[in-house]
Amino acid sequence: MQPDVTMPFSNTETLPGSSIVRSHGVVTGSTVRAKNVFKDIGAGFKNIVGGELKAYTELLQESRNEALYRMCAEASSRGANAVVNVRFATSSVAGGAAELLAYGTAVTVE
Amino acid sequence: MGAVQVLQLLGFITGNIAWIASIFGVLVYQPRKKKALLKREQASLISCGVNALTTLSTPSKKGEIQGYTVLVANVVMSPSWIQTFAGGVRALFGGRINTFAKLLEWARREAKQRLLEELEASHYDEVINVRFETTTLTKSTGSKDKTTGFEILVYGTAVKY
Repeated sequence: MQPDVTMPFSNTETLPGSSIVRSHGVVTGSTVRAKNVFKDIGAGFKNIVGGELKAYTELLQESRNEALYRMCAEASSRGANAVVNVRFATSSVAGGAAELLAYGTAVTVE
Repeated sequence: MGAVQVLQLLGFITGNIAWIASIFGVLVYQPRKKKALLKREQASLISCGVNALTTLSTPSKKGEIQGYTVLVANVVMSPSWIQTFAGGVRALFGGRINTFAKLLEWARREAKQRLLEELEASHYDEVINVRFETTTLTKSTGSKDKTTGFEILVYGTAVKY
C-alpha cells in the first residue's frame, strides 16, 4: 500500500533527483492502536486454524500510515521539506494493541 | 453401531471441535493458501523478472529517475493450535522447530509477493532498498487467551526511470 502522505520521503539515504542542503535531525512518529473486541474474538477463532489474521494486518497498515503522517507533520513543523532514510519499528505493548514507530531524518532538499 | 456409539462420537466431535478445526487448518486450509501463493509468485516472476526487488540502495539502471515513492506491505500470520502445541513440545528438546520455520517462511514469501503486486499495480519499475522486519504480536502474558501472531513487514522505495 502506498502511504497517504504528501511530503516526499524515502527509505534510501538520498532523494533521487534532488540534493540535500540542510539536515533538521531525527523525526519520529508513533501511534498505539487496538482493534475492537469483536475483531479480537474473530482473530482468536482464526488463530485455531492458523494463517493470516486479516484484521490485524489492516490494523497495522492503518496505524503505520498514521505514524508516517505524524512523522511528516513533525518534519514540516521543523521547516523541513522531505524525510530520508525512513525506518519502521513495531512492538506489541499490551494485548491486542501494537505500537508502530516510523523515524527518519528530516532534511531540506533542493 | 448402536445409538450410544453415535452419540459418543457426536459428543467427541463437538467437544473437540476446535482441535478438529485446527487439524483441518494444517492439512487443508494452509496448503491451499500456499498453493495459491505459489501461483501468484510464478505469475509475477514472468511479468516482473527476478530483479524487481533489491536490497541495494541505488537503482540498478543508470539514468534519470522520474519519480519515487515508498511502498509498504505487511502480513500478520498466526500458527494454528496444533502448530503451537507441536512447536512447544519440540522446544522442550531443542533443535530446529520446523512448524514455525515453515510458517515464517510462508509469511515472508506472502509479504514479499504483496510488495511485488503493489509494484505491478503502480507505474514504478523497481523497488530498491528493500527491508524486512519481523515482530511478534502477543496477548499480555498470563492471559488465558493464547492468540498470537507475528507480523512481517516489507518496505522499500519504488523508483521509475
